[in-house]
Amino acid sequence: MSFLRELYVVFWKEMLLWINNPMLPVVRALVFPMMWIVIFGSAFGGEVNHIPLAVVMGDTGELSAEYLNVLNTGTTLDIKNTNLATAHRMLKNREVYGVLYIPEDFSKKLASGEKVSVVLSLDETTPQISSAIVAHVTGITQYFSKNIALAGDRVAVEKNTLFGRGIEYLDYLAPGVVMMTILFSAFFSGGMNLILDREFGTLKMLMVSPISRDAIILGKIFAGVVQSITSGIVALMVALLMGVHLKSGVPGFFMIILLMFIAGFGFIGMSTAIGTRITELEQLMVMMMVIIMPMWFLSGGLYPLESMPDWMRPLAIVNPMTYATDAARAIMIRGIIWETLALDLAIISTFALAMFLIGSYSFKKTLGGVK
Amino acid sequence: MQIIETHKLTKEFNGLVAVDHVTFSVRQGEIFGFLGPNGAGKTTTINMLTTLLLPTSGEAYISGLDVVREASQVRRKIGLVPQEVVLEGDLTARQNLLFHGMLYGVSRRQLEARIPELLELVGLRERADSKVRTFSGGMKRRLELVKVLVHEPEVIFLDEPTIGLDPQTRRKIWEYIQTLNRERGVTIFLTTHYMEEADYLCDRVCIIDHGKILDIDTPGKLKDKIGEGDIIEVEVSGRGKVFARALEKECSCRIKKVEGNSIAVSARRGEYALKEIFSLAERLGMEVTSISVREPTLEDVFIHYTGRRIREELASGGSMMKYLARRLKH
Repeated sequence: MSFLRELYVVFWKEMLLWINNPMLPVVRALVFPMMWIVIFGSAFGGEVNHIPLAVVMGDTGELSAEYLNVLNTGTTLDIKNTNLATAHRMLKNREVYGVLYIPEDFSKKLASGEKVSVVLSLDETTPQISSAIVAHVTGITQYFSKNIALAGDRVAVEKNTLFGRGIEYLDYLAPGVVMMTILFSAFFSGGMNLILDREFGTLKMLMVSPISRDAIILGKIFAGVVQSITSGIVALMVALLMGVHLKSGVPGFFMIILLMFIAGFGFIGMSTAIGTRITELEQLMVMMMVIIMPMWFLSGGLYPLESMPDWMRPLAIVNPMTYATDAARAIMIRGIIWETLALDLAIISTFALAMFLIGSYSFKKTLGGVK
Repeated sequence: MQIIETHKLTKEFNGLVAVDHVTFSVRQGEIFGFLGPNGAGKTTTINMLTTLLLPTSGEAYISGLDVVREASQVRRKIGLVPQEVVLEGDLTARQNLLFHGMLYGVSRRQLEARIPELLELVGLRERADSKVRTFSGGMKRRLELVKVLVHEPEVIFLDEPTIGLDPQTRRKIWEYIQTLNRERGVTIFLTTHYMEEADYLCDRVCIIDHGKILDIDTPGKLKDKIGEGDIIEVEVSGRGKVFARALEKECSCRIKKVEGNSIAVSARRGEYALKEIFSLAERLGMEVTSISVREPTLEDVFIHYTGRRIREELASGGSMMKYLARRLKH
């Protein structure tokens, strides 16, 4: 029997089991994401801090310097004073969330009693952040206009959205939920499946058969990936039906599926590795609380990382889920822009490859016995 | 022809010897049983023979194939029914057999012919398309028995095939095992700690304790070896030791075991020994409070070799601990 054929046999059984018991996949694929989207989609609020914002000084007058000074108060914004070209590059590369342009005739017009506007260009990928920027800049500008320039309400903020229409929280949340569905399904299809297999001895049945060890491992991993992706696709469809934004249409859809595939391998590998270290279901539930839930909550899937306290941010930075969520959100809201996706994709692919290797290696080790 | 052969097969777990230089062989077509208490090394032996576990030392061959070096060929020749149910509850009976066949590369056409026939053999044909989850314990066991036959192995290993089943179901399973053996000509290696099971089913029994083989023979010959004739169990009002000593001196029976005020003896002619026992008791001024005569069982054989009952170790937690402590000392 060829290796591919063996692989297919193991895969076939896993998929048959999955289809034969429709309750679980349905719950995992539908109820979970819907619950998250509906519950969290309309909840949540909070403060965000240290939002990077580029400021382009078109004017060198005294009043504009004053204005910049006032903008710099508080911890809401991290102002980066730069030129127009750099600012726009930074906005595109997501180094800043917005660009505030102070026009060249700012001081002159104010002095002569005319109306002026500063122009705020925003990346609305993260609605909490763009609204925080708008609120802060508007407030500061009003204060400046009345109390410092003594110009009444002659200074206005002109808003300019860079990426698409106004983004709602649901748009922000949906990509995270889609990736979460993959993470959770992978947890069930990988680790839990493995533990149940051992508990019920079904792994022994494979071990005593002449099928190769590699086919057992790969067959199970592939089945796990396909099962997770299926859940992920269902979640994505639910989100789209609820009117969630998908900027780049069909190519974006397939790009997300590719992303799911890569992330799915990583998560299945991870949960397989966990599953081989653990013998009881109770312990796995603990792992779920200790590893999987934090991965989800610290991914920026529910709320932007900028709202986290500083000590917590490193956790988000080492969390692969952060990059999966970020990539999914970038594709859905900003469209396929390779320059901004490259880092995310590189990190997720590295994670997936590493986890796939670790998972299959530790799986092979637990199979033990005679090769 | 010898289908299973082992030579000084040994397995150690962290210095604890689970199977200790075990040498035996099983003939083609026979039902061969490993009889011993829990922890005697039965499952460990099966795991080594079925390539699930690497032996620490020694050799084992299935149909002349080395279980370590030729593991994948060995796997094609054997079928294993482990203690726990290893069916997929969410698959139907037919799908379980189908999957098993596919694992062994049996062609679809052969499977379509074999599966209904095998299900018929254990009376599960009507339930072919029900999920195994809905089956009773006995039905699952029956399905497992034929599942391993799908790839037509030469020998099947049954690890405690009737553990946890009620007596009636147990009988049924015994009959099915005999049917498989007779009608399919498949060699059966089974382990059990039920002596009736070994006695009823096995052509030859290997008694094992603490990883060592105590004896191998047919159940009949094993029983003949320990005592000629019947087993008499007496309970007297006085001290058992005193009574036993006198009995040994004066009567034609052999003392097997003394425990408090109860004595077990074997006697060539039970009814004659009974008379002697009563008259001796009268002379010693003791009273016989209970007495029974029966034919010897494999349990008696086990007691003969070890001084213990097969299942007494698991009677209570305390004795279980003592048992484990003893195992660790060994």
